[in-house]
Amino acid sequence: MPASLRIGWTVAALLALPLPAAAQSRTATISVVIAATARLSVSPAGISFPDSDPTGVPLVAALPGPVGITVKARAAHGATLRLTLRATDDLRSGVTTIPAGTLTWTAAGDGFASGTLTVADQTIGTWVGSGVRTGTQSFLFQNSWSHPVGTYTLSMQYTLSSP
Amino acid sequence: MKLLFRIGIVQMALAAATPAFCQVLQIQPQTITFPSSDPDTVPVVAAAPVQVSFVRGSGRGGSGSWSITVRADGDLTAGPAQIPIASITWVAAPSPPFRDGTLSSTVAQTLASGLGSEPNTRGSVTFRLANSWNYSAGTYTQTIVFTLTSP
Repeated sequence: MPASLRIGWTVAALLALPLPAAAQSRTATISVVIAATARLSVSPAGISFPDSDPTGVPLVAALPGPVGITVKARAAHGATLRLTLRATDDLRSGVTTIPAGTLTWTAAGDGFASGTLTVADQTIGTWVGSGVRTGTQSFLFQNSWSHPVGTYTLSMQYTLSSP
Repeated sequence: MKLLFRIGIVQMALAAATPAFCQVLQIQPQTITFPSSDPDTVPVVAAAPVQVSFVRGSGRGGSGSWSITVRADGDLTAGPAQIPIASITWVAAPSPPFRDGTLSSTVAQTLASGLGSEPNTRGSVTFRLANSWNYSAGTYTQTIVFTLTSP
């Protein structure tokens, strides 16, 4: 068989084979923006302490029950979140006052802390990083025969912050 | 001997006359952006649809199977913060040849597949991010690779 014929057959056989296709690749960039944001919910918006005999009920529990708190926050990686509570004033009934410090609370929930109400910020919760945290505050009023008769009110302010 | 020689030449000529098939893949846009959204009101964030178009010629070898895969180079990162890349899924149309899926950085996921030539096929792919309060604030990025292959 002439050499030229053998070459012809070889080339023909190679061309008849299915060719592996070169893979085509394209890239795209994904960009996700997560803005720092927070949502704080406190429920109910108001609590009350019914009149009670100071001898029989030295500590009056709030009605309708514990205050539920939900903290939702997106913070920078590793950032500390702090939830504080302060009274805007003492309990006031006209010109008569009862110190805000007669109100205490017991906290439940990861990161929540128990404490005593004052007109200065009290930390009621600290956490690190983003997430959703829930807890409760069960308020108690320190009853006393010394409290003048009246209907007392105060406002409480919750503040969630991150440095 | 002369007869065999002629046959060889004829086969060679026929094979050379059939062009090798070509394939072209295009992605538009090449940046997929998810805006910041409230996880309570927007639990799933959709990016603007990505148009995937490709041409797969009918030349020699073009009758076989083909697939388009997508693979991420890693999780979404913003400095030390990360979001798992599996938080991003996609919905694609038309189906077939396109199919829905979830991004992975370990295994290339099939976005579309078929058999034979595709003269000018276009698909729309909408990537979706599972939103969460657990994500740290920041701007996350990652590269994904679309690959059109024929075995």
